[in-house]
Amino acid sequence: MKPLLFKSCIGYLLFFLAAISTTCYANFSQNLRWSLDGSFRLNHNESLDNTSRIYALGLDTHKVFTSPTGDIGYGVGQLYYTKLSNHIPVPFLFTSKDDSEFIIREAHLNYTAGPNWLPNIRVGHFTLPFGLEESIDTNGRLLDYYHGKNLGTKLDWGLSLNKVMSHLEYNVSYTLGGKDKAKSVDGSYAVTARIGSLSHLDFVLGLSVLNGKIDGISRKRIALDWQYYYTTWGLLGELAIGENNNQLQGWQEEKYSLVELNKTIINNQLKLYSQFIFRDIKSQESADKLVNIGFSYQISTQFELSMSGVKQINTPVSGKKKQLARVQIRYRY
Amino acid sequence: MKLLSILLMLILLSSNVSAIAYCSLRDPVSQIAKLYPQKTNQLSIVKTVDDNTRAQVKIALPSNDLHFSELGRHTLYIAMLGKNSLGYVHVRSEQSDWGLVEIVWAIDKELRISNFTFQRCRSPKNKKIAEGSDFKDIFIGKNYQELKELLSNDGVTANKYVLDKAQDAPELANVVLRCALKSLLLTEILWGKELKKL
Repeated sequence: MKPLLFKSCIGYLLFFLAAISTTCYANFSQNLRWSLDGSFRLNHNESLDNTSRIYALGLDTHKVFTSPTGDIGYGVGQLYYTKLSNHIPVPFLFTSKDDSEFIIREAHLNYTAGPNWLPNIRVGHFTLPFGLEESIDTNGRLLDYYHGKNLGTKLDWGLSLNKVMSHLEYNVSYTLGGKDKAKSVDGSYAVTARIGSLSHLDFVLGLSVLNGKIDGISRKRIALDWQYYYTTWGLLGELAIGENNNQLQGWQEEKYSLVELNKTIINNQLKLYSQFIFRDIKSQESADKLVNIGFSYQISTQFELSMSGVKQINTPVSGKKKQLARVQIRYRY
Repeated sequence: MKLLSILLMLILLSSNVSAIAYCSLRDPVSQIAKLYPQKTNQLSIVKTVDDNTRAQVKIALPSNDLHFSELGRHTLYIAMLGKNSLGYVHVRSEQSDWGLVEIVWAIDKELRISNFTFQRCRSPKNKKIAEGSDFKDIFIGKNYQELKELLSNDGVTANKYVLDKAQDAPELANVVLRCALKSLLLTEILWGKELKKL
């Protein structure tokens, strides 16, 4: 899609939603959810012999726009003030190990009022529709499906066409590849798509593809994801294959797979999970194999405690196996 | 400092919220379409389930309580055919021996159960029984008072009439009955006034 056309689409949709929301029958505070979301995360990276902390405080909002004949769409906005303390390696959003920043997580509008045969249209900053993350939200949690490592970014600015149909759901996005920046950086872009069975079912199967260029690295991916739930047990997996081209090394094959076994107690208060992660990059001498075990415990409606421990099974060339222990307490008010 | 002041002000104004991030919220689109195949759109009305609501449920249905995750903002969907409402859709979770069961209730304008389907029921055997018409007939067409008469004296389990009809799924019958009662009660308490205006 040409940049001018893309910007026109975004401008048109934003104008349309802004205009229609002023005339719709509900005022802005109606159908609005919002909460304050604060968290403290303590990390101990054994391989780097480093202990760090991450503090986050933000506003999480969700608003349904309506007219007398039904819903027009909804918007999600999540703005977080995030402070690092001695955190290495420094995440891309920050400039130093003790930096602090305002971070936009999800911020998008999804227009849903079209006829049944037309897809919904989402504009904004959203999670790339790929793999398990499409139906399991991990924002602000220790649980992770490693979107960022596999695709180059977890969230990106752009546009998506999405729909839940009677037996299938799909989401196709074109994003700018600028990650936190709402623009294309040095020709960056990402076309991402996932089609799958309905995500609330006991057995979910999805197929995802990505073709993009993010941080100067061209990426191609195809992935299969699945979820199977039986009573309080869940068995999940994602298998992605593809290649990266960072210009210095040329195209390099990459394989990534994750298998998760989880157990939720019957009142949903405690969730335990164990993951096996396999990542094979052709340029590396050996494939990374990691095990991640964790839990989240919902102490009350507001408080959640979670812990996780990652341990690398294989010995990398550096000789330092990855070992990471994390604890997080989260409060939503 | 300015940020902290703003956040403090927001805390004082804020109400109970969901424990999960809002970006994970999804409308039960396919279930609404299944329950109201002729609908052209749905209209959402979001209301707050708070401690006061919880207390009202405890008074109306002694020995029953709302799950802690229910405190917060919840949506009632009105199935629309053009500008006319066809009925309401209320999604609720109820605890069972096999985890939380999520039931999507279709409620008519007289607040009677007109149909229901399962968004999540992770017991394949029970789900199969629950989707059967014999089982559904126990609940369909009944309002809150009629359903309340199906409770046994302990106030949480179904009476003999229901259990006989449920055959191999007594626990499922208990779960569905409790969920139906709470759904109709909450619909009346939280959305009753607004629905009368439609």
